[in-house]
Amino acid sequence: MKKDSIPYVVAFTFLICAAFVLVLAAANEGTKDLVAANKEFATQSAVLGAFGIPYSDASGAAAAFASSVRPGKAEGFGSWLATIDGTEYVAVEQSGAGLWGAISVVLAASPDGRRVRGIRVVAQNETPGLGGRIEEPWFLGQYEGERAPGGRIAMKAGAEAAGAPDADKENGSVDGVSGATRTSQAFGAIIDAGLKRVEAIGGGK
Amino acid sequence: MKKNKALSILADNVWTNNPIFIQILGICSTLAVTNSLRNTMIMTVGVALTTAFSSMTLSALKAAIPRKVRMIVQVVVISFYVILIDILLRAYLPEASKQLGPYVGLIITNCIIMGRAEAFAQANGPLLSFWDGLTSGIGYMAVLMAIAAVREILGFGSLFGVRVMPEGFATWTIMIMAPSAFFLVAMVMWWAKTVQAKRAASPKEAKK
Repeated sequence: MKKDSIPYVVAFTFLICAAFVLVLAAANEGTKDLVAANKEFATQSAVLGAFGIPYSDASGAAAAFASSVRPGKAEGFGSWLATIDGTEYVAVEQSGAGLWGAISVVLAASPDGRRVRGIRVVAQNETPGLGGRIEEPWFLGQYEGERAPGGRIAMKAGAEAAGAPDADKENGSVDGVSGATRTSQAFGAIIDAGLKRVEAIGGGK
Repeated sequence: MKKNKALSILADNVWTNNPIFIQILGICSTLAVTNSLRNTMIMTVGVALTTAFSSMTLSALKAAIPRKVRMIVQVVVISFYVILIDILLRAYLPEASKQLGPYVGLIITNCIIMGRAEAFAQANGPLLSFWDGLTSGIGYMAVLMAIAAVREILGFGSLFGVRVMPEGFATWTIMIMAPSAFFLVAMVMWWAKTVQAKRAASPKEAKK
């Protein structure tokens, strides 16, 4: 058959596509379980981190998750319940617009939504090194144990430059990332929305 | 003889015909990923392997590919390898995959890969094409890693995430943002072209 004849071109293109797609499908099928396990670990570690439950590795996280976390009943978004040292806590997932893309977090708080237990960032596309620093422990650590008067936590933009992050757990205020004012404000709004969700679940119980 | 050719391809792709500072290909990824060494390394290794394997595959298939659909077949082969890398990263390096996000998929659009497939693999055997793709990737990697090292040191005060600058060091925010890569790429081009121009000029002077 001639190389530039239409039947050859059609048959060749078809065969090439079929062959390569077949290999990709096999690779996808072969790693499906591993990818699912990675995803599950990502969610579990975020929930455990927000609750402040320690775990060692992937299998340890699965065991800790199974023993101390109970699934919540909220519809439309993920929610979890846990009792830590005799105190009840509620965790919810919450997403919102950041500066570049969506920011997703898992937020754990007391059932009335008035005191934060912890926060973990699940996904974000903020500027690396600036807005991306919302994942860092010093920033998220400000929220741990923070009081939320009226279910809100104020975001003081640019205050980080003063040196240490906000250490006062009773003032209902945290320091934003300096150089990332818009990301900080968006993050604050996402947390306030998350606290409302916690209150809705915790109060309805 | 064959060894000489392999060596001259290496020298060509890394220095005299470097994809970044001579051919000015693949600049978009230079701007995007070079603010941390770790991401840069994963990205450039991905590009080098994709270029090598797709050049090899296309070279092996070249006798059978009809000219009319040549570019379509090239795109199919390139995207095949990129998706394969994406799948493997998601399964075995989920952290890196999460950080690189859309950049892995964007390897497909890296002009170096198609450039080598068109310029070299069309006319050479599979093994040489593989070597050509790999060395092009190495030339790309060398420049990007150098830029990433400067940006990470000045922007974060660290190398591969390990802090190297003293505690009081004020980080340069501009180095984290894409524009700094423009300045640095331009400086690399300036430096490389100056050195190459001097080298080209000096043998003539010796003859005089």
